[in-house]
This record gives sequence, C-alpha cells and structure tokens, in this order.
Amino acid sequence: MLPFRKSLQRWLLSRLPLESAGRLGQKRIYLLPTRFGLLLLLVALAVWVGALNYAVSLAYALAFWIIGLMLLAVLMAYRQLSGLHWTVLPGEGVFVGQSADCRIQLGNDSALARRLQLRAGQEGEPLSCLLAAGSSQSLALPLLLARRGRHAYPALQLWSTAPFGLMRAFAWLRPDGHVLAYPLPVPDRERNDLHSEQGCGRQSGDDEEDFSHLAEYRQGDTPRQIAWSVLARRDVLVSKRFASQPRGQSIRQLAWQDYPATVDVESRLSRLCWRVQQCEKAGQHYRLHLPGLLIEPQPLQRELALAALAEFQLPS
Amino acid sequence: MIKSLLRQGEMAVLLAVALVILPLLLFLPPWLPMLVLSMLALRGALLHRQAVLPSLYLLLPLLLLAVGGLWLSLNTLVGREGGAALLILLLGFKSFESRQQRDWQVLLALGFFLAAMPLLFDQSPLAAVWLAISLLVLTWAMLILSGEMVEGSLRSAMQALALSLPLMLVLFVVMPRLPGPLWSMPHDQHVAGTGLSDSMEPGSISQLVQQQEPAFSVVFAGQAPAVSEMYWRIMIFDDFDGRRWQNVRGLSSETVQWQGGRLVSYSLTGKPSKSRLPLLEYTVTAPAGGVLEPGNLFKLARDGDELFRFQAQSLLAAHYRTVLSRADQDFYRHLPPGNPASRQLALQWRAQGGDGAGFVRAALQYFRLGGFSYTLQPPLLNSEDGIDQFMFSSRQGFCEHYASALAFMARAAGMPARIVTGYQGGQFNPVGQFWQVKSSDAHAWVEIWLAETGEWLRVDPTAAVAPDRVTQGVSQSIPAMQSQLPGLGRSMPSWLLRVQQNWQAAGFAWQQWVVGYDAGKQLNLYRWLGLGEQVDSGAVLRAVLIGGGLACLPLLLLWRRQCAQSPLQQGRDRLVQVLAAMGIMVVDSDGPLDILNKVRRLPEPDYRQLKALLKEYAAMRYRQPVPQQQARQWLRRVKAFRPGRQ
Repeated sequence: MLPFRKSLQRWLLSRLPLESAGRLGQKRIYLLPTRFGLLLLLVALAVWVGALNYAVSLAYALAFWIIGLMLLAVLMAYRQLSGLHWTVLPGEGVFVGQSADCRIQLGNDSALARRLQLRAGQEGEPLSCLLAAGSSQSLALPLLLARRGRHAYPALQLWSTAPFGLMRAFAWLRPDGHVLAYPLPVPDRERNDLHSEQGCGRQSGDDEEDFSHLAEYRQGDTPRQIAWSVLARRDVLVSKRFASQPRGQSIRQLAWQDYPATVDVESRLSRLCWRVQQCEKAGQHYRLHLPGLLIEPQPLQRELALAALAEFQLPS
Repeated sequence: MIKSLLRQGEMAVLLAVALVILPLLLFLPPWLPMLVLSMLALRGALLHRQAVLPSLYLLLPLLLLAVGGLWLSLNTLVGREGGAALLILLLGFKSFESRQQRDWQVLLALGFFLAAMPLLFDQSPLAAVWLAISLLVLTWAMLILSGEMVEGSLRSAMQALALSLPLMLVLFVVMPRLPGPLWSMPHDQHVAGTGLSDSMEPGSISQLVQQQEPAFSVVFAGQAPAVSEMYWRIMIFDDFDGRRWQNVRGLSSETVQWQGGRLVSYSLTGKPSKSRLPLLEYTVTAPAGGVLEPGNLFKLARDGDELFRFQAQSLLAAHYRTVLSRADQDFYRHLPPGNPASRQLALQWRAQGGDGAGFVRAALQYFRLGGFSYTLQPPLLNSEDGIDQFMFSSRQGFCEHYASALAFMARAAGMPARIVTGYQGGQFNPVGQFWQVKSSDAHAWVEIWLAETGEWLRVDPTAAVAPDRVTQGVSQSIPAMQSQLPGLGRSMPSWLLRVQQNWQAAGFAWQQWVVGYDAGKQLNLYRWLGLGEQVDSGAVLRAVLIGGGLACLPLLLLWRRQCAQSPLQQGRDRLVQVLAAMGIMVVDSDGPLDILNKVRRLPEPDYRQLKALLKEYAAMRYRQPVPQQQARQWLRRVKAFRPGRQ
C-alpha cells in the first residue's frame, strides 16, 4: 500500500531479537486503522461538516459518537494483544515438498477471550484462533519447504481487528526455531534388496508374539523393546528379545560410497534417505556412513540420520 | 461455520440500515423509503437463499428509472430532501451489489451517514432517541460483521456505546462551532412554514391562533415587562387593496429618534420564518447575526430555518419619532376606492378629535362602545365595501379585522397608518424560568403617524374591544376558545398545568442546550468553566485534554477489570515476591509442589497457611474454565498473607 512499507517493515524486523518465548507489551504492539475504520472516519468527517454547515446540533453528536467508537476500538484492539504470552515449539522435520508446521503456543492468562490471527510474513494465509480466558492453544502455520536443509521459522505477524473491525492491532514476532527439510526419498530397491539377505523380514514376524527372553539393555535398543514393567518394578533397564529377530545382530550398512562417482550429491542423499526410511519401517538396525560422519544405532537414530542427510554439506 | 457467521453479519447490516432509514418515511415522499425498504427485504431474502444477484445491466436502468421518479416527485436531487432521497436510493442499490465483506462494510458506513439524515428534518428529543437506537443497531451489526459471536453481541454494543458516550459529550461541548454556515444550500420551497404569512386578510391570523405550536421562547435579564407591554414585531403591511394588506414598498431607510422608554434586556430563541424573527418593541440596536430593517424589524443575515438565538435590548414604551417625507406620507395614506360610510365616519372622528391623538381617542371609544365583539368565527365579509360591513353591521371580528379597520379609518382621515403583525404576550414557565410564546399569541395591530409630534403611535384596537386579550392572552378573551383549546382554559387542573409546564421546561432546556448549543453558548460555557476568554486553539486543547481525560475514566476501569492478569497469575506473582523478600527464590517453572518444597523451613503457621493457599491454587489452576469468583477471593487471601507476623 505504502511505497516505503517494505523498507519500514525490514527496519522493524531488524530491530526485533530472535526469541523463543515472550510476552506482548506496549513496545511490541502497533495500531493502525483498517480500511473500514478509515471509511468510518471519513463518514464522521462528512457528518461533522454537514453539522457545521446546517447547524444541526444532533449531527455533531453523531459525528462525535463515531469518533468515540473509534477511540474505543483502539483500546479494545490493543487489549486483544496486550499481555499475550507466546512460546515457540520445535518443528517436526518433513521431506522436501511436504508442508511443515511452524508451531507456536499462545497463552492468555487474562480474564478476557481474545480473537487473534496469525500469519507468516506479509502474504501468508492467515490462521484464526479464539483464545478463551485463561487458556492456551498451540497453532501450526503450514510452511512449504522446497529445498532440503534447516529452515528458520519465518517472522510471524500476529494481529487482531476485534471487536469492531475498525482498528488493527498487530505485532511482529521473530520466533527462534527451525524446521528441517529432509531430502526427497528416491526408491533404490536394487541396493535395498542386495543387502536384505537376512530377509528384511515381514513386519508381522517382529511383534511381541515371538517374544523370546529378556536381556540387558544395549545401546540402540528401541523404546519398544524396553521392558517398562521391569523398569518400574526393579529400576533396571532390560530389553526384550524376540525369537524371529536376528536383526539385533545384523546391522545394515547404508553408505555414501555405495554409489559410483557419477551419481551426484542430491541423488545419493535422496536414495540414502529412502533406505533409512525402509529400515525404520522394517525395524532393521542400520548404520549410516557419510563422509566424515558415522551414525550408529542409537535412540532417536532416525531423526539424527535424517538431520544429517538434510544438512549434509550445507552451512548451518 | 465462518461462512454462516458472516451471513448473519450481512443480515444484521441489512436490518440496521433498514431501521436507520425508517424515520425518513415521515419526511420524504413515502413511496421512496418504502421502495428502499422493500429492496433491502428482497436482498435479505436472496441472501437467505444464497441466490444469484441480478446483473449490473438490469440494475443500472432500474436505478436510472428510480432517480427519474425521484426527480419527478421532488424536482430536485440536491438540498436536504433531494440529497437524503438520492442517498437512500443508492443505499438500496448498493445492497444488491454487495458480495464481499468489504462491500458490506461500505454499506454499513453508509448506514452511519444516513443516521444523520432524519436530524436534518427534526431535532426533537424523540429524534435523539432514534439516533441512539440507530447507533446501537449499527454498532451491533458492525460487531457481528467483524466476526463476534451473536450471543452477547447486543450487550457488547450497548457497552461500547455507553463507553464512548462520555467522549461524545465532551467533544460535543468542546469542539468549536461556527457562527454561520460554510456554504448555503438551496432551501426546499414547498415546505410550508408555520409562521405568519406574507399578507394579511381576514382569517390569516385566526387560523394561526388555533394552532398550539410553540413559536419562540424568551428569557429576560432582570424584571420582565408586563404581559400587556409585550409586543413582538415581525412584519409590517403598508398597502391595502380593499381586502388584503400587503407589504409593497418596504422603506429603504428611516431615521429614528427614540425618546424615553425603559431598557429591557432579553434573549430570544426561535425558528426564523423567511429569515425573520420577532423583536420586542422597540429594539434599538440590531442583534448580532442580522440587521434592523426600517419599521423596527429584524432580518437575519442568513437563510434557513434552523433555530436561532440572539441577545437584544429594547426600549419599552419609548416614543418612535421619525420624519416622513411628503411622498411617504402620501404613500401611507393611500386607499383603494370604496367603503364610503367608513370614510365619512373617519372624517367625523378627525373633526371631533381635533388632532391625531384626538382621532385615536375617538376611534378607540367607538370600538369600545360600539357593540363590537371579539371572536374567532366572524361572519364572512364581501370583498366590496368590507370595511363598511364590518364597522356598521357585523361588528364581529378577530384582531386582523380590527387592525385592518382602524388602519383604513386612519388613512381615510388623512393620517399615515400601517399594520404591524407579530405576537403579543406570552406565558411564563416557572419551572424553566422562561417565557413561551405560542402561535396562539399571534396578533396584529396598527401604527399611526402623528403629524404633530412626528411619532409612529402604536394603537391596538383589539385591546379596546377585548382588554383581556393583551393582559391574559387569547384563551381568556374568547369564551369559545376555552372549550376549543382545553390545554389553555381556566378549567385546567393544577396538576395538568404542572405537567405541561414541566414538559415545556424540558423542551426549552433541550432547545437551549442541545439543539441551540451554538458558538455563543459555547463561549459562555468556556468562560464560566474558566477555560479561556475565547474559543481559540489553546482553550480547545485544554478543554479536550481535561474533558477527554475525564471521559476516559470508564475506559480505565474497564481496562483494569478485563485486561489485568488473571487473579491466579497475580496471586502467584505476589507469592513469589513475598518469598523472594524472605530469600526464597522461586523460578517460573516451579509448580505449586516445588514451591511448597522450598518453603519447608518456614515457621509452622506460615507454612500451613501457604500450603492451604498453594493447594487451592493448584486446584483452580488446572480447572477449565477457571472459577473467576473463587479466584478473586483467593487473591484477596494471598494479599492478606504476611509471613512472620503471627
């Protein structure tokens, strides 16, 4: 709308620190009339001029009542944002091309319900939320990630025109958070089958029905394997072993070097990514070899492996 | 969900604008508001069925047709009536063109503007009530249109209006008013005024007298003159055609020497009729806002029929001395042929009386003793020799008959004479401490120029026939009036009189302080409040700051009540402070149990008290919704908690 709006906004955002939580106050809330508000101001002006000209005393009352409503709208719109708590929630990684969520939690500890809208940047699709008194709510703004890697949360605009639609109170947030875009998985059955001589078994055979015995916990056991009841009773970590599970011993190797030199970086990453997925689905233990990086079986291995693939050779 | 809400918002907008234009049924040709109202209803039906809107190619010719009809019935598209009519027509068509929320907002804004239209026609307290209702529904529609829940929205709208009311009042009082219009607009010609007409013939005043409209109100500074001295001049008629008196010449100038008289100051408020307002006999200097015309008449500098108030001083019972040239004297002696018997009688009076004063004495005596009666229903006079018929046979008439007859006689006797119309008398309202003059006080009397002293002498023949007329008003002097005008007769019980006086006083206060609140009143108020000697930018700024500050107090209260932190949060913060003062640090992530752990070492009574408070806190904190009443009580107990003072 304004010619210098873009640069004004850039300046505004550059003043803001990256924050992971905060509370909106006077310093952060801006107020501007909406288009409707401006129109109504114009109406008040026209009525006032008419009242001046025709010496119609009651028309003054109308004009000034509209002005009074505008002033009230300023206060009420400010009230929608003032004192609002916000906390950035960590984003869950997605594959390139999928929509990720920029997650933020809003908390309202006042005795007033708030009607808010949130969007990413200036053009994003707005998200509405009605925050009851003394409640909190987490919102997820969809982000479309086109490249792999670590994507910082965008600057967010939080605003409200409630209750009249005459005034717009808004605040900019720079949430300190990010979301990872993993490489797009590309099927690589050939190599998958090559290493599946142990019979990257059918999942039906992996379940508790084939329980064999309890053994000491080992690095890399999945939470599913842990015998929680034993932990609760005796405070020792014990893992369940299953009869049809030779995988505990067989660890599949997923390596950068599996591919000839002609295959470029992105294709390698995509194929490795697919294979990591396959192993995770099958409950197969695996080891990911990347140049200068080795990811052993361990808790949260999937996330670590995918993050390594996502951020491979990218400046963080 | 959102869609259906929005649709409710659109319905609310249609309903609100329909209500706003409703009073225009009274002031515009009724077919027009009816047309617009049915258009709005049709639009509502289409909205309900989510039907397709008619195309622009259909709407535009229809709009032109409607504007054409408007032109045919009003003959204008501007001014008060034309403008209002055109605007509501556009409103109707705009509703058929409204699809998006933005369009509906435009419609709503137009509704706010239209709320001013009825005020152009009427500014009574009833109009003010309607204005408040209009604003309420418009605000309500605005709330719903912007997505508020329908439940409780009416209450919110009322609250919003109540909160902005003090701001409105302050601005109303404080914002500078202009003494005159910015530009003048054409006035509607065909609206008949209720005031005196341009000419006088039998029946013209007696018709007026039967109306009970308030004409104007007066406040005297100090002692009010006697009722019989209150002659309010509005117009002068100087030409007679045998039946009708008219103002033909209108003196261009006159030089007056006032002699004697008693100074009376008064302020008068009334609606001008053809730019004329009454003056108390005789007002020596022109009041602000108009000029004194020859004949001691007041003409406003501006057009329009808006309420006007002025301050003036008059010399009561002064001598009105002026020099009439030969030609002027001839002009004021001119008569059409006819009425031979009256002419003869006039000459006889002149001969008997000797001088002008003697003529007047003789004339008044004739009226007093000649068997004349004062009535609102005189027999009809024929247009030939009407004066003869009145003087010698019918002898019944109202003030216009007597004034007409006396002016004729004076002219026939060779004395310059003219007729003055206006009002005589008034009723004092003890509640509001003002004088109310009504249309029933309309009156006509005669001025005769005495050559001996060079003075225009006021002669009121009606006073000779019915002396009560000038001392007690028309209702007391005509027996028939008492039954005809029940509000005025002697038979009115005292409680009814009190009610009537209170009602009039309320109307007067409304007129003085709301409708008639103008630059002059504003200046007085500024001085009285000590805001400044002038309504200049400094004074206005002071007034806006002080008044605005006061008007914002309710907002502040609302803020404290609704936007403050919840009692639970406040109480927790307070506990953290109290504990910090005792060296126990509590961090944000600590739950109630963590806090309790940290205060183990406190003395037993403090610990027990704190435990009870924290337990209640935990119980309320995780309940949805938080019980507000209980939370506030809890907060009070937290504030009363003073560890180490047992």
